[in-house]
Amino acid sequence: MSGPLVIGLGALDRGDDAVGAAVAAAVARRLSGVTVVVHEDPTGLLDVWAGRSPVVIVDAIRSGAAPGAVHRFEIGGGEPGAWARSAYGGTHAIGLAEVVDLARALGRLPGRLVVVGVEAERFDHGAPLSEAVAAAVPTAAARVCEELGHVPR
Amino acid sequence: MTHSNKDGGHVLHVGTLARVEGEGAMHIAYRDGQVSDVQLRIYEPPRFYEAFLRGRSYTEPPDITARICGICPVAYQTSSCWAIEDACGVTVTDEIRSLRRLLYCGEWIESHALHVYLLHAPDFLGYDGAVDMAADHPAVVERGLRLKKAGNRLMEVVGGRSVHPVNVRVGGFYRFPTAAELRGLRPDLERALDDAAETVRLVAGFEFPDFEQPYEYLALRAEAGYPIEAGSPVTTSGASFAVREFAARIEEVQVPHSHALHARLDGGERGPYAVGPLARYTLNADRLSPVARQAAREAGLGDTCRNPFRSIVVRAVELVEACREALRIVDAWTGDGPASVPVPPRAGEGYGASEAPRGVLFHRYVLDDTGIIRDAQIVPPTSQNQAGIEADLRSMVGAWSDLDEHALQHRCEHAIRNYDPCISCATHFLDLTVERS
Repeated sequence: MSGPLVIGLGALDRGDDAVGAAVAAAVARRLSGVTVVVHEDPTGLLDVWAGRSPVVIVDAIRSGAAPGAVHRFEIGGGEPGAWARSAYGGTHAIGLAEVVDLARALGRLPGRLVVVGVEAERFDHGAPLSEAVAAAVPTAAARVCEELGHVPR
Repeated sequence: MTHSNKDGGHVLHVGTLARVEGEGAMHIAYRDGQVSDVQLRIYEPPRFYEAFLRGRSYTEPPDITARICGICPVAYQTSSCWAIEDACGVTVTDEIRSLRRLLYCGEWIESHALHVYLLHAPDFLGYDGAVDMAADHPAVVERGLRLKKAGNRLMEVVGGRSVHPVNVRVGGFYRFPTAAELRGLRPDLERALDDAAETVRLVAGFEFPDFEQPYEYLALRAEAGYPIEAGSPVTTSGASFAVREFAARIEEVQVPHSHALHARLDGGERGPYAVGPLARYTLNADRLSPVARQAAREAGLGDTCRNPFRSIVVRAVELVEACREALRIVDAWTGDGPASVPVPPRAGEGYGASEAPRGVLFHRYVLDDTGIIRDAQIVPPTSQNQAGIEADLRSMVGAWSDLDEHALQHRCEHAIRNYDPCISCATHFLDLTVERS
């Protein structure tokens, strides 16, 4: 498989962690001919994105900005340390940041990798998207479409 | 936690990317060079789910509890199915039991590969994490990823998808895979068996601190084979009891420093107890398949193993066992028979247990006559191990108190990782607070 890929990352019933899946679904409704997947396990990304470019990952983010704020950043292939790793000392799963660094170390980063993040408010078990994050889904979806060279409808 | 990104000369500090949803903290206090207090503070989602399950239908626990953990959903599904079926007085067919075991093998392969290669091996090889290790040992990390993928693939084919399998239901499965579908897994599983054997050779060469745990070990013992999806509890003190007795034998007590409950066996009269690979191996080494037993012998393991640092070797041996078992079940699979048995609701109490990758997971449900859940109890492996983890740290930290904070944190994390703890699912980090006085 080749060509563009959109990945909505996150757990579905952990509050705003589901925003990746919600944005992915919105993108799938707007675009045809672009593969859109929802994925929960970051370590599986190396196989999911194999051979694909550009790849846009949509995930929830916490940076201190207002809930619902949309972030966008591109992951460079040749800048080790450009994205500070956070998962050191982790006891369990491995996060997106570490998987990106792992892929870089193994030469398995996509040619172009963009992260579109939505500032999250809460990650409660069983909770739906918060109001601010749900309201940001169309904006984030439009951003993903722009990344792939499509004018949002 | 901070992520930063240089993009066009700008630095964007992004606090926490989601999927970091729990809390894990360790508190260590020293007084006059002696450890005065060690507390592992963890947040445990099962507590939330116990309340959430009350009032729900008896058919829902496999789907609901699978969401507790992204790494061990099959454990939650399997223990909940056994418990509900027990409450309803239903026994499943041998084919359903076999498929549960096969699905569970996929989870063991996936979970153990992740832990051995990406989380634990860097501790032994002197790296801060898998990324640094991958730069120097790419083939090793690729082998770990390949193994994990084989486990995920097995879970996809049997369970419908890998992270939270959707094919599991009370009474069995929604559909049986065909014989041809399972045969299609053979090449991946054969490669995984080779990779698992190579894993044992790799980790057997690590250096292990001398440390022996005196604790009582508790694991399941199955009617035949190594305990994976089922069995009855046995312990190294000679105790054995039916799964139905677990609530009477294992008591969960609240400790002030943790959201999690600490578990005590038989009132704690014999001190802490531990579950997990060391307990399984020590109580079931005779049940390993010949190929796994041979791998264990070549790795220098005896009939028992009480050094928590060597748990990585036992996990590697269990990878061999899980791959071997998966191949055996795949080869024997016909796909015949009903994929599930009817489970009519009735009032009663049911108990279930299975060996999650990190140790025994107990479930108990009380149903009314319409199948509504009136009470739910989940005793996860990490709460059973918590007292043991703290006792390990107390013993070890005294010897390490001259280390600087970074080195001490690393050692302590290594000691905690020996247990592959489930400190809330997908928790990525551990904060360390050291008080020196």
